[in-house]
Amino acid sequence: MILHKPGDKVKVVTKEGEKEGIFISEENNSVFIKLDNGYNIGIGKKEIKKIEKTGEGKKLEIKHSIKLTKKKGLPNITILHTGGTIASKVDYRTGAVFASFKPEDLIGMFPELSEIANFDSELVASMFSEDMRFKLYSLMAKDIEKEVKKGVDGIILTHGTDTMGYSAAALAFMLEDLPIPVIIVGSQRSSDRGSSDAGINLVCAAEFIAKTDFVGVAICMHESMEDKTCAIMPPCKTRKLHSSRRDAFKVVNDIIIARINFENKKIEFIKKDYIRKDKNRKLKVKEGIEEKVALLKIHPNMHPDQFKALKGYKGIVLEGTGLGHAPVGVPNEYCKINKENFNAIEELAKNSVVVMASQTLFGRVNMNVYSTGRDLLKAGVIPGEDMLPETAFVKLAWLLGNYKKDEVKMLIGKNLRGEINERIEPNTSEIKDF
Amino acid sequence: MLNYEKLGFKCGIEAHQQIEGLKLFCSCPTINSTKEPDIKIERRLRAVAGETGEIDIAARHEMAKGKYFIYEGNSEDVCNVEYDSEPPHSINQNALDVALEVALLLKAKIVDVIQVMRKTVIDGSNTGGFQRTALVAMDGYIETSKGKVSIPTICLEEEAAQKIEETKEYTKFRLDRLGIPLIEIGTGTEIKNPEHAKEVASILGMMLRSTGKVKRGLGTIRQDVNISIAKGARTEIKGFQELKSIPKVIEYEVERQLNETKQNKKIEQTVRKAEPNLTTSFLRPMPGAARMYPETDIPVIKITKERIEEIRKKLPKLLTEKEKDFEKKYKINNELAKELISHEKFEDYIGKFKNIEPQQIANILINIPKEIKTRFDVNTASLTDENFEEVLRYLNEGKIAKEAVIELLTEAAKGKKVDISKFKTISLGNLEEEIKEIISQKPGLTIGAYMGLAMAKYRGKVDGKKVMEILKKFVK
Repeated sequence: MILHKPGDKVKVVTKEGEKEGIFISEENNSVFIKLDNGYNIGIGKKEIKKIEKTGEGKKLEIKHSIKLTKKKGLPNITILHTGGTIASKVDYRTGAVFASFKPEDLIGMFPELSEIANFDSELVASMFSEDMRFKLYSLMAKDIEKEVKKGVDGIILTHGTDTMGYSAAALAFMLEDLPIPVIIVGSQRSSDRGSSDAGINLVCAAEFIAKTDFVGVAICMHESMEDKTCAIMPPCKTRKLHSSRRDAFKVVNDIIIARINFENKKIEFIKKDYIRKDKNRKLKVKEGIEEKVALLKIHPNMHPDQFKALKGYKGIVLEGTGLGHAPVGVPNEYCKINKENFNAIEELAKNSVVVMASQTLFGRVNMNVYSTGRDLLKAGVIPGEDMLPETAFVKLAWLLGNYKKDEVKMLIGKNLRGEINERIEPNTSEIKDF
Repeated sequence: MLNYEKLGFKCGIEAHQQIEGLKLFCSCPTINSTKEPDIKIERRLRAVAGETGEIDIAARHEMAKGKYFIYEGNSEDVCNVEYDSEPPHSINQNALDVALEVALLLKAKIVDVIQVMRKTVIDGSNTGGFQRTALVAMDGYIETSKGKVSIPTICLEEEAAQKIEETKEYTKFRLDRLGIPLIEIGTGTEIKNPEHAKEVASILGMMLRSTGKVKRGLGTIRQDVNISIAKGARTEIKGFQELKSIPKVIEYEVERQLNETKQNKKIEQTVRKAEPNLTTSFLRPMPGAARMYPETDIPVIKITKERIEEIRKKLPKLLTEKEKDFEKKYKINNELAKELISHEKFEDYIGKFKNIEPQQIANILINIPKEIKTRFDVNTASLTDENFEEVLRYLNEGKIAKEAVIELLTEAAKGKKVDISKFKTISLGNLEEEIKEIISQKPGLTIGAYMGLAMAKYRGKVDGKKVMEILKKFVK
């Protein structure tokens, strides 16, 4: 019935009278218009006698794109854009927050960036991070390699926060001897709003790249609920631990690398043994990654078919309970089925690499303390040390994509990129903030 | 007096009324908290482009100040939603019902589908950088002494955080007020003169209170007045302390604009603040239209015909109508009726204490406490429903006379237990005997003098009327 473009000026005639405004959308049996007073309202289609176009309106576009000019003496940073809330705008057709900014738009929105560095930008993808696939990790790694070859001083990779931790780990593994900083930045409040954390996270990441000798992959996000400091966090030890807070990302079984004060731009290194810039570092990209890898959460009352369903997977991470356990013991008649769970896991471990991580997140897997653990060890399950389950999952996929099975079994429990800490100090946790 | 018509005077009012219950987009209480803040955080806001790609000039003005904001609150009063650390929950349907009810009282047309909008506000008073607001109904009107005044818009929105400190570097806010549901009623510009503005504001206030679902007390209703004169510019005045200051503030603002035009100054469209001396001062530039875009975290809300009819069926009587009803039904004057319509127990008591005349109940509930205050300088705010009920019960059962009420309530107001032993009524037969006794002891006095003696002795125990009747029998 309606053939209007968003932005058209229209007059909607109903039984009760006329309403003039800008046509926004047509959905759910209603027509949405923006009135002169700025409000959008929906008018039920049944009520509408006719809609007249009364004029062409302004286009519903954010006019932000700017031309980037290079300043001498400033470092060169490339923004690789993959989407997420950090680069979101409102989709006025659906009313949803949508990741569709041109990468230049970020600089248009946060002009102070141009005083810190010269920026280039490349679009890798424009997506919500929950849609992420392994192929994109390889794509990102190759794009980063291109930038390294161009000689940029650093990269900011914008990313949705949902699976940012996975991507950070994947890139850390794929980019061996990375000679520049690659800082992954997201935001928990979309950049269409005044309170967005995007600007501060970006500015802090740029400052960190421009002012320090750090190299490697890291995550830069708010350190607290406040807009005071950002934390630079290790790629394999950082997890999203809150669904909505700005400081959702916390380091688990490790400490943050550095802290950036947004107000005075002071940078303080917390980790003293971070990897520093070194001309001898030559990037080796190992972008291989095995597709058939799974992460299974252990829980009470598991059935054997849950394990059997993973037949054919080359790698499996079990997110076990406690020190690294699963329901495989038969302490009484109600638990008889657990024996079948054990058999299923044993069967999986024969053909694929099965790794144990812990759903407690904090602390280390130790499968020697209880008989359940010892039984699982006997079945061929490899303990994943203090790795985050997600990191173990990504690492396993990456190992399987680049190494032989025997090597994989040997390397999974060895620290390659800071994913395993031999020592966890008692006061490491910063989760007390929540 | 100025001729407002000649001046091209245009005036409209925006009334903002807080609704009782929970917050609009979370389950926090809507209280004016006095608790010590236990969380204090620092935030910054950045002006962003609205949906037409323009950054609003009011937003630019705030950004130019380069300030940061401090938000504080007590964890019992505010949650992650107010801190902009969690997306809004679904809209508070009870508050929406109240807004719909008000819309119907104002004879407005409710929109088919409500879309919550984000109104860009970066003065820090909203942690998100915007206020959530929704247009609920349009095209209503009220009747006034000077004809109809239109109500083009009725909105439901979030209350802003309360500013408690402002320095060059930062502004500090308390968060317990942020997110309280607020009905915003905007009138058309049919308001004729400053006095009329006050009348309109007072009618709107009365209609809102008629629902019985809005908050009462200082700061729970606020009026903004928009005015312009032909040679001036539109000015929005905020921060009226009370209704009665409206006419003067408008007069002074019109005079200010007239003076400035005489000096050939260009008058800008501004938002101004009503000062305690009733003049106005500059607050910020007038916001443009680019400041609104859809709140994407909240799905649109379809208002069904059934829902509207449900509310229409239960529409409350307006307080003014209720007043008239009370005057007629209970034979009380308008002043008492006005106070009693908001008294929750008055009609209960009439049903419960059938031996007491409604006027007398009205008198006890409203006038007697006032009398206690003026005569004995005792604060009666501490009197509870239980105190009144107890006294009314004794009176109803004939255990005390109505003269005892004031003393019993005075005692209760002082926090003492109500003791009726000294006010026990005496039977009529005994009373006649006793009065005879008084007369025989001091013969030859006037009837008034005997009355004085008798009442001194029996105050509170007997009805004065009866004493007079008896005296009339014996004193010639």
